[in-house]
Amino acid sequence: MRRRYRAVLLWLCGVILAAGSVLAQSTPRAGYDIDYLGPPLADPVMQYSKETYVLFGCAYCHGLDLTPRGEAADLRSSVLVGGDRNANVIGPLLRAGIPQTAKLSPMPQFSDLSDQQIGAIARWIHYARQRARHKELSESSGASGDPAAGRVYFAKACASCHATDRDLAAIGSKHDQAALRAQILEPRSLAGQPSYRLDRLRDARISDGRDEHRILLENYSPQNVANLVAFLLSVR
Amino acid sequence: MNVTRRDFGTLALSVGAILPRMARGQSVAAPNRSYIHGVQFGLQPFCYHDLAMTRENRPTLIKRLVQNGMGMVELHATWVEPRFNVPGVNATVAREKLREWRVTASPDFYRSIKKEFDEAGIAIFTYYVNMNDTFTDAEIDATFAGARILGAKGCIGSQGLRVSQRLAAFPGKHGMFLGLHNHDNLSDPDALNTEASFDKGLVFSPDVKATLDVRHFTAANGDCLGFIERHHERMSSVHLGDRRKNNGRSAPFGEGDAPIIQVLRLIRDNGWPIVVLLEFEHGTLRTQVDEVQLMFDYCKRALA
Repeated sequence: MRRRYRAVLLWLCGVILAAGSVLAQSTPRAGYDIDYLGPPLADPVMQYSKETYVLFGCAYCHGLDLTPRGEAADLRSSVLVGGDRNANVIGPLLRAGIPQTAKLSPMPQFSDLSDQQIGAIARWIHYARQRARHKELSESSGASGDPAAGRVYFAKACASCHATDRDLAAIGSKHDQAALRAQILEPRSLAGQPSYRLDRLRDARISDGRDEHRILLENYSPQNVANLVAFLLSVR
Repeated sequence: MNVTRRDFGTLALSVGAILPRMARGQSVAAPNRSYIHGVQFGLQPFCYHDLAMTRENRPTLIKRLVQNGMGMVELHATWVEPRFNVPGVNATVAREKLREWRVTASPDFYRSIKKEFDEAGIAIFTYYVNMNDTFTDAEIDATFAGARILGAKGCIGSQGLRVSQRLAAFPGKHGMFLGLHNHDNLSDPDALNTEASFDKGLVFSPDVKATLDVRHFTAANGDCLGFIERHHERMSSVHLGDRRKNNGRSAPFGEGDAPIIQVLRLIRDNGWPIVVLLEFEHGTLRTQVDEVQLMFDYCKRALA
């Protein structure tokens, strides 16, 4: 009887702790506008990036999800953002601003921000752009692809890491069109938070792969994706 | 009606602040709920960053203005006019439809909107329309006429000097003014950006007035206090917010280079009828209503 009582007590404690942990994650702190900002993200690094982007006023013009207001540039389709690697384009641009412009208001300079803050703003811009591009590309799945054009694109954008006679051998017989499209847009390497375990952190294959796929996602056209799917389906 | 000691004190303070203006022959509107220690405050609703400026959102706007204790507003035309520029409609066609709507809009349409604000105790100080070369004379006239029915004292926009010169002929016919509003684009010779550019614009007509955007003027390294001292007789209002110099970023009040406290006291202590419209672009994690309140409270403390 005593053993049963102890088991029930332990189970209750477990439930209470689990509920507390869930609440702690999903309940925003006071003074946090959840209607506008959305619930806090599971990845604290990305949440910090989002908050930094908002706090320094970027969202006012460029939009929280990169839907621009007024005359601001659309960062979802910006070539500069598409070519940025670890804030190497966005950073200098933020620090200097764009004083010479035909627009009504020049983009301000943010020269007083720390490298961490600049990095966080760039990180959020890329994250939001990837979410926007993923949505757009997922919704444009109707385009028919050209396997020959897909082969050319594969050779240019994918062949430095993948090969159809190695890791992708007979991939067309293993997956259908929808699964291939989903994997191209968001491969497993993009899911979840990056690990800070030293062996993984310093494994360039993992970190570079993650970066490369994100860059691809930000810059694919719907036709690129359709062609790539058509090509991979033909690999049997 | 019961008058409390606090009501009496507020009334006495308001009358005390208005009398010097009356002595100088300046027109004075009845003070409303955001008349604070001799300064009339209002809001440029751009501050509600999360609220799309559409006429569908107007009831929310009015509710928020009341929540923030605002009795005056600078109303952007998009809060009033129907939107024709929607997906699937050619931009030229949409522009033509908007023009047609403006020149045919019924006075009762504007009256009904004025009533919404009146019932909430909010005066529409200015009507913000970005008039440009695509506006016909009839459309400009209709815009001023509609704004007047809304109760606006003037129309304001972000137009440059060339367009302002054309517009300057219109407000006088309606007993109104045209507001010149600066940004900080120093690379455009037609832009309102420096004191010299205002000097050029203010000679177009006595009906042209300056709306000094303190944030942008600071970012353009302008001397806000000197400008107000020299031009107060030709000023309708200031847009009050904070930014850093040298095209610097927006900042919460008191964290940038704009002389916010000094601007407020300059207006109060000289009894100038310059309306202070809060407008800011800095980011916040708080709700926009909370942020407006914080900035408004900062101003109230500056005048206490």
